Amino acid sequence: MKFSYNWISEFIDGLEPSAESLERIITIKTAECEGVDSFGRGLAGAVSAEVESVEPIEGSKNVKATVLTNLYGRKTVVCGAPNCRTGLHAVYVPVAPKTVGGIVSDGMLASESDLGVSNDHAGIIELTDNERLPALDHVIEIDNKSITHRPDLWGHHGMAREVAAITAKLLREPANLSLLPEAGGPVKIEIEDTSLCLRYSALVFENVTVRRSPLWLRARLTSIGLNPINNIVDLTNYIMAELAQPMHAFDREKLHGDTIFARPAREGESIIALNDETYELSPSNVVIADASGPIAIAGVIGGRDSAISATTTTIVLESASFQASSVRKTSSALKLRTDASMRFEKAQDPHNTVRALARAIELLEELSPGIRLVGGLADSGREIPVPAPIQLDLDWLARKLGCTLESPRVRAILESLEFKVSDDFTVTIPSWRATKDVATPEDLVEEVGRMIGYDSIEPKAPEVACAPSYDPPEREFLRRVKRTIAAQGFTEVSNYSFISEEDARRFGLAVEDHVRVLNPIAAGQELMRTSLLPGIHRNIVENAKHFDSFRLFETGREIHKQKNAKPEEVTHLMAAIYSKDDGRAALLELKRTAECLVPGISVRPTEPRPWEHPARCAAIYLGDVEVGRLSELHPSLVESGRAAVIDLDLDRIPRSIDARYIPIRKFPSSAFDLSLIAGVRELAGVLENQVRDFAGEHTESVEYVREYQGPPLPAGKKSVTFRILAGAPDRTLTTADITAVRERILNGFLALGYESRE
Amino acid sequence: MQDFVDSALARIHAATTADELESVRVEVLGRKGVIADLSKDMGKLAPAERAERGKFINTAKQALESAWEGRKSGFERVALAARLDAEWLDLTVPAPGRKPGSLHPITQIQWEIEDLFRSLGFAVLDGPEVETEHHNFDALNIPADHPARDMQDTFWLEGGHLLRTHTSPVQVRGMEKLGPPLRMIAPGRVFRNESVDASHEHTFYQLEGMMIDRNVSVGNLIYFMKTLLGAIFHREVTVRLRPGFFPFVEPGFELDIRCLICGGDGCPVCKQSGWVELLPCGLVNPKVLRASGIDPAEWNGFAFGLGLTRLVMMRYAIGDIRWLQSGDLRFLGQF
Ligand SMILES: [Zn+2]
Repeated sequence: MKFSYNWISEFIDGLEPSAESLERIITIKTAECEGVDSFGRGLAGAVSAEVESVEPIEGSKNVKATVLTNLYGRKTVVCGAPNCRTGLHAVYVPVAPKTVGGIVSDGMLASESDLGVSNDHAGIIELTDNERLPALDHVIEIDNKSITHRPDLWGHHGMAREVAAITAKLLREPANLSLLPEAGGPVKIEIEDTSLCLRYSALVFENVTVRRSPLWLRARLTSIGLNPINNIVDLTNYIMAELAQPMHAFDREKLHGDTIFARPAREGESIIALNDETYELSPSNVVIADASGPIAIAGVIGGRDSAISATTTTIVLESASFQASSVRKTSSALKLRTDASMRFEKAQDPHNTVRALARAIELLEELSPGIRLVGGLADSGREIPVPAPIQLDLDWLARKLGCTLESPRVRAILESLEFKVSDDFTVTIPSWRATKDVATPEDLVEEVGRMIGYDSIEPKAPEVACAPSYDPPEREFLRRVKRTIAAQGFTEVSNYSFISEEDARRFGLAVEDHVRVLNPIAAGQELMRTSLLPGIHRNIVENAKHFDSFRLFETGREIHKQKNAKPEEVTHLMAAIYSKDDGRAALLELKRTAECLVPGISVRPTEPRPWEHPARCAAIYLGDVEVGRLSELHPSLVESGRAAVIDLDLDRIPRSIDARYIPIRKFPSSAFDLSLIAGVRELAGVLENQVRDFAGEHTESVEYVREYQGPPLPAGKKSVTFRILAGAPDRTLTTADITAVRERILNGFLALGYESRE
Repeated sequence: MQDFVDSALARIHAATTADELESVRVEVLGRKGVIADLSKDMGKLAPAERAERGKFINTAKQALESAWEGRKSGFERVALAARLDAEWLDLTVPAPGRKPGSLHPITQIQWEIEDLFRSLGFAVLDGPEVETEHHNFDALNIPADHPARDMQDTFWLEGGHLLRTHTSPVQVRGMEKLGPPLRMIAPGRVFRNESVDASHEHTFYQLEGMMIDRNVSVGNLIYFMKTLLGAIFHREVTVRLRPGFFPFVEPGFELDIRCLICGGDGCPVCKQSGWVELLPCGLVNPKVLRASGIDPAEWNGFAFGLGLTRLVMMRYAIGDIRWLQSGDLRFLGQF
């Protein structure tokens, strides 16, 4: 929202701070300003002037004009505008004299663009008699987000109230309520639901002249970003920007019947709005209607068919108040945000409707001379609730702020903001702060705090009990995992939680298993990931453009759809090694990394997934729980080189391992090697488990040593060597004991049809 | 006899290789050597002669052994020196093997701040990324149709859930789980439905903080923020509070710090204002406490939200937010 400095200063006599200081003051005390710009640079020194005579200049389109200025006396100027003529009331700007075609031009007659009040440079400005000139202005832009809770700050008068309170000045009231006629208008108002339309007030004017607004009004609207249209529409916008009360004018002749209805739209109704768009309406939209149907979408936009036109002579001026959430719903459903809807959705003060009408009566006399009120004030609505006063405990207030406060100071602050404060500090909320903004003592903490200035509060350490903090074990676990894997040469990446349907299909993940984003930001981000793989795969492909080998990992949440419940979030770790060799080393290296992360895991054969190399994949187990997968990506997914990946479900891994000391054996152990002949695709891990099973008593450990293929072994066979360590806690084993272990293993395998390589 | 000893000594001294020396040793001092032979014959001699011969043999043996040892260690020294010299290595060649990887800059800053808060007795909590409307909005005093919802463009999911737009729902979960008094932070990934450009991301990281106790004041909040930010930036910082509107706090503030680049004189970073907007904070709205089952008559507190992503960009002077989610090792390898 843009604020004109001149406009604010119209309400405060003797406003001292400049626009720049005002910007700082407002930022610190009220709302965030985003900057100050000057408006109408050419207006510095501009005065009105009458063109007394015009003489042509030979061989030139320019004319030589003699003008009588309001301040600088009589001047001769050379003017190129086609509308420069004798008797014209123009705007004179005292620029430095210059010679044009041999004639000294002392100053200039300005177009709107010369003054910087619009882009219009078609001709010089034509003023009507006695029309006042606007002045050079400054525009302060306020961040809309910082005033969403302040319906009153959506108009200049509301902001002026803040400025007056901060600078300890008096605030002038722009509306004169005594101008309002008696009740009993020439139109009837029928509100179907007063919780949706809280109040509807209207006046009818006749003998209206629709024309261009005077320069000062057009300049003012332009300065705050509104487009001037005609005097009637400009009036409604002006009052909206001044009092935060949106208004609308209907052409009385184009209304059917003399009753105005405020009601939910009927099923199937539609309206062509002022922006020429057609809106299909539903009963959740409140409309203003006449006997034939909707004439406006309540609080959002007027209808085209009843709009003010050049031929309008009688108008109905609406000033109403609508339920904030209803306007907001309608505006977002129709995707139509207007200056009116933006204000109504902040919950405007229903008292304000008639104030705006009173202001209109006064302004219309200037904007449309000869205009006449028809009948009295039409005003309908529910009784406006009186907000409950707040009992303010000054000790409590001081404790909340953390500073000492004198009661006269607190009273002065609240009264400057037009709160009424009784002797015992019962605080009455002004109506414009009562709709949504102020209701609790905490709200008054803010009012007092910002006015005394938070910088006057001494920083103070809180006095709280000393206690160890709750420490969820998964956080330390995740840290250990990340630190460990980074130390193994893996660099952490972070990928989006969104994937595309195409991603899901590429990796053989069922699209319907994914939680769908209803309003994705872009195509390709419509599903929530159920695996970190699509992101990691993208990282592999992208980084392969720059590196011959690399390692990376991500920890993040998989989002899994649940029937009739909130999706489940599972924290996974996925790590990848990319290389341009045969890929063996990478897979084993990933296995080693997994063993560093989760001591005690084992690897078991598994069915390949669609994205896996079918002969290079395995499931990772911790005990009997499957905790992840180890595999090479299918060659079709990696253009050159190979990528091995490991995927661990971190939620299935114990957060901490309880270590316990086992006494070191006092008696020496004995080791022996044993080689078995097996088929080349038999799994060493399976054989090792069998060795362990057969070895039985006195076996301390079984360790894989090596394997061998080639002569003298027959083709299709390999020899696998294990080292068995045998011992006992209470004695040194005899040769017979050790031989027994060996025999048990050999016999076990012989029984299964294996031979040993002795 | 003495001549033999003298010539043996001379041969020991004259040996030019370890092998030559060894052959002299075997010949003279070996088990079948000359000295051993002399000793063998001793039994045949008369006692007086025997004593004299024994003395002579011992003296000769000692002299020969000592000469031999001296010569032998000389050879060893030379051999060792030669070996050491042959083992010359160029240690300026690059070390083989893999360099350690690195943690994402977000992780690094997040941990740093977590540690800071843990040292102040704060719990570090985690919350879901998929939230209910209740936890993300309603319990934080942002009912449906509240204009504040416009500030946070929301990703909606099928099934009526949403992606959390801030880490504030973890406040609610923390209050529900732990109750008062409470000191907690909640770092995490948040989502806003915004187009991505150099300074906007739909996926970024926040750190939410909250302290609930008896009689927590605005003065406490200012103290805390000053202390915390001083620790984050490793120097004294000047902070200021100004009004800011966030429905879950009342009063609510925007906290600015005096520009660390120009010290407050004005520069492009602070848009010439001397101040940099850093974080929203405020006293927890009693409605939020009540929604989480905490009695606002007894307890109150403050809450704040820190933009981790923003802090990372400030700390490392990263100009484009998109690098953080790029997965590009040319970028990530720098941290
Ligand atoms: Zn600066």
